[in-house]
Amino acid sequence: MWKNYLKVSFRNLQKRKLYTGINLLGLTIAVVSFLAISLYIHHEWSYDKMYADYDRIYRLNQEFRSDGQAQLVSSTPSSLIPTLIDEVPEVETGTLIFDISIFSTVMVDAGDGNQEEKAFAYVDENFFNVFDFELISGNANQVLAEPNQMVLTKSTAERYFGNAIAAVNKAIKIDGKDYQITGVMEDFPSNSHINFDFLASFKTHRHGKNPEWSPSNYYTYVKLKPEADPTVFEGKLGQLVDKYLGKELAEYGYQTDFFLQPVTQIHLGDQTLGAIKPGTDIRYLYIFGVVALLLIAIGIINYVNLATAEATERNKEVGLRKAMGAGRGQLFGQFVSESMLLTFASTALSVLVLYLIAPRFSSISGVPLRLELIISPIGLTMITVFILTMGVLAGLYPSLILSGMEPIKALANKTKIGGGAWVRKSLVVFQFFVSIGLLIATFVVKSQLTYMQEVNLGYEKEHLVSLSYHYSMRDGVETIKNEMLRTGAATSISRASDMPIHVKAGYKVFPGGDNQREFMITGYAVDPDILKTINLELMAGNNFSLTDIKRSDLEDGTERFPVLLNETAVNEMGWTAEEAIGKTINLGFSSNSEVKGVVKDFYFNSLHHQVSPMVIFNDPDETNVLLVKLPAGNPSDHLATLEGVWKKLVPERPFNPVFVDQAYARMYQSEQQAGVIFGLFSGIAIFIACMGLFGLVSYVALRRTREISIRKVLGATQQNVIQVLASDFLKLLSVSAVLAIAFGIWFSITWLQDFTYKTSITVWPFLISISLVFLLAILTIAYRSWKVYTLNPAKTLKTD
Amino acid sequence: MIQLKEIDKYIESRFQRVFILKGINLTINEGEFITLMGPSGAGKSTLLNILGLLDEDYAGEYFFGDRSIKSMREKERSNLHKSEFGYIFQAYHLIDELTVYENIETPLLYRNVSSNERKSIIANLLDRFNMVAKKDLFPAQLSGGQQQLVGIARAIAGRPRVLLADEPTGNLHSAQAREIMEIFQELHKEGTTIIQATHARENADFGTRLINLVDGRIETDEVISK
Repeated sequence: MWKNYLKVSFRNLQKRKLYTGINLLGLTIAVVSFLAISLYIHHEWSYDKMYADYDRIYRLNQEFRSDGQAQLVSSTPSSLIPTLIDEVPEVETGTLIFDISIFSTVMVDAGDGNQEEKAFAYVDENFFNVFDFELISGNANQVLAEPNQMVLTKSTAERYFGNAIAAVNKAIKIDGKDYQITGVMEDFPSNSHINFDFLASFKTHRHGKNPEWSPSNYYTYVKLKPEADPTVFEGKLGQLVDKYLGKELAEYGYQTDFFLQPVTQIHLGDQTLGAIKPGTDIRYLYIFGVVALLLIAIGIINYVNLATAEATERNKEVGLRKAMGAGRGQLFGQFVSESMLLTFASTALSVLVLYLIAPRFSSISGVPLRLELIISPIGLTMITVFILTMGVLAGLYPSLILSGMEPIKALANKTKIGGGAWVRKSLVVFQFFVSIGLLIATFVVKSQLTYMQEVNLGYEKEHLVSLSYHYSMRDGVETIKNEMLRTGAATSISRASDMPIHVKAGYKVFPGGDNQREFMITGYAVDPDILKTINLELMAGNNFSLTDIKRSDLEDGTERFPVLLNETAVNEMGWTAEEAIGKTINLGFSSNSEVKGVVKDFYFNSLHHQVSPMVIFNDPDETNVLLVKLPAGNPSDHLATLEGVWKKLVPERPFNPVFVDQAYARMYQSEQQAGVIFGLFSGIAIFIACMGLFGLVSYVALRRTREISIRKVLGATQQNVIQVLASDFLKLLSVSAVLAIAFGIWFSITWLQDFTYKTSITVWPFLISISLVFLLAILTIAYRSWKVYTLNPAKTLKTD
Repeated sequence: MIQLKEIDKYIESRFQRVFILKGINLTINEGEFITLMGPSGAGKSTLLNILGLLDEDYAGEYFFGDRSIKSMREKERSNLHKSEFGYIFQAYHLIDELTVYENIETPLLYRNVSSNERKSIIANLLDRFNMVAKKDLFPAQLSGGQQQLVGIARAIAGRPRVLLADEPTGNLHSAQAREIMEIFQELHKEGTTIIQATHARENADFGTRLINLVDGRIETDEVISK
């Protein structure tokens, strides 16, 4: 029976090429998107689940609190893990990672010159006991047990030594220090939140020999005993804080607490400040999942619409089969097998397409498409369930309509499918609602992105380049700066602790001097050229002068240390800009600080956050980057000149210019990604929906060929004919548009809520989206009508 | 075998009932070969559809054997329809997407006949109608007469006791029509009850009984003597 069903279905599909083509193309595009999104979501979901005991592994996060302000960071002191292992019975083992890329790069020399590397970390001897990454060579308990030992990943070993085994026991120099390569491991999987190229034994590091409770620069992980209760364990952390950190904290007015974060929640859970890899906002995964389902729905709707519209064509067949004794169930099987065949074909085609686009998808999304998942037993089962579900969903309604026809009427071609019309209409409305809705969402996201690019940040990020330098170059930086200025390839250069796009250092204002309030403040260590270089606006007072004392020169506690405050900081202290000048404040430095100037607020953090208080102080020795303002003209010419200076003065250090405006754009990567994905999928949705519309109009046109021919004979112009065919559909599209506007308003409000600084909601995204979709729909209808219009009425009318 | 009592079939139009059949009383015995004649619109096809259980929208009583059709449940009616009736249409109504072989096979599939049995039944039919060489052709590749032969083969494949034919020779020229009628006669001799509707008087001569319908009523009902 099924063989017969399939045979007949296949011949039917073969016969109606337009119908099959539209359905196949629409479903394939929808399924490709669906599978790609599913694999992406699966990848993000699978993060850190590859460790044997992943359900017992936790990262310790630390929360600093002071006067109602709290900051959650994932870095902890180096003493934490040895203390936990020694003193807390719940802990089976634990490890520590020191990711030095947050401070600087390293220079690697494997015998043929220096290369700069970023992905370098110190880890302690328990690393492989907590995270059971596979070692190709070396013993997990020994590879990092002694100082100056190192484990490379496979691809790094291949890069430096040709192959993994050749690297073993070789010597390698990191920043001039000798290491022995004791092991080679498989590359870190893309779905691990840990990702380095070099792992050095922590015992090599100063803090590895003598762990301390300050600073908090290390990631701490514990593996609890199987029977241990994490809540009980977490409770004991408080006592530990009191015992070891109590005194110090009291002195600075801080409180701190440690929290457990399951390792599997690091990637998708609450994001902490500082992490090895940026996490993913789980809400975007939900949104993408919904979008994937919507696309599938649009594809299925095409099928349902075309199949029911086509039902008139198949009256005869249905009536005949009934006369020959076909039961309703048998007819049902017949039509469902047709939709099954179609969904099966499009899914098979989609897998093929996925193989072709996998490399491109991976480079755009940054996530490898693991196609082997599809052909795994679970994958195949899920695909089968997917095909069956999709086939039934698509085939159900048309089959009901077709199998429910009365045989006599069907045979006589008297059946009208008027009953199904409202279903078809609502489905069309839904399709275009989704299309227009996604398009509006795209434009809203884009306009916020444009806003973020164009908003006045309070400083100039254009033609601004950041050059990070190594602390070992500290003494020579002033020379580099002057030499660069002398070439004319830079109009102004300032040393700074960070790029202005994101200043991180946290300080605190204590009661003292003229100020009695206590609050957190961001500190920006710079030299006096900063105002000129990034063009900060001074509201009152003066800039630093070259003769001003530097923080590193503060000595006896009697001198006053000049600082600049931003507007918000001054307001926080209850002063106006003018009043603030000359006031003294206490920043916890060895001397009191004196407000020398007040700068207008600028955005030194993501636009998700409100501008907070900031203090700018003259402290060139604590800086990490040179901010270079380029003159007008081709930036690459200027950079070449600057590189010449750099290579002459510090040939051993790499010259890595970063454009500040590009770094700024990268801060909004997840928003940009969302914009791209919305854009892509709204395009796909519109395409599929328009194809469906084309198919529907074709059937309507076919049914009304005679009517149109008569109209033509009576003198109707082409425009009249288009109007006849288009008016019904445009009514439906108008309903879609109204619904989409409602959705768009809801989306704009909800999505923009996340931004403290946001674009205003205008009518444009709505207007553009709706006009675009209407235009495409009208073109689709017009093309089809034109084909009917050009038919010779003499021929079409003759048959009656 | 079949008894119709006071069968009325009408369409409600806005102002009045238009009767297609009115007061039909008819008894058909097993093994009869009945010809329904009458002008277009006399109700021949409608009567055939009612007899074949394709049309259930009528007033009056229909007994098949000693059971009233109206008292049967949907399932029983459907089974009766499958097991007892075969249909032949004027326009052949073969399924265009199926080959000759598959067209004949279709009713057998709906009757859940096993694959081996299907093969032997179809082989016999193809042989009987000299169509073995054409079994893999599609309807469009056959002449009208050949298509109607397939239509007959399909109708009798399920071994129905009653064969209903609505203008079976209407689209055929006389030589082909004659061939079809001879086949009917043969089937009749084998014991099949046949009811055909036709415009052609000469076709009636192959049968045993001639019923004339005019305006939905039986006007004459005579035995054909050979």
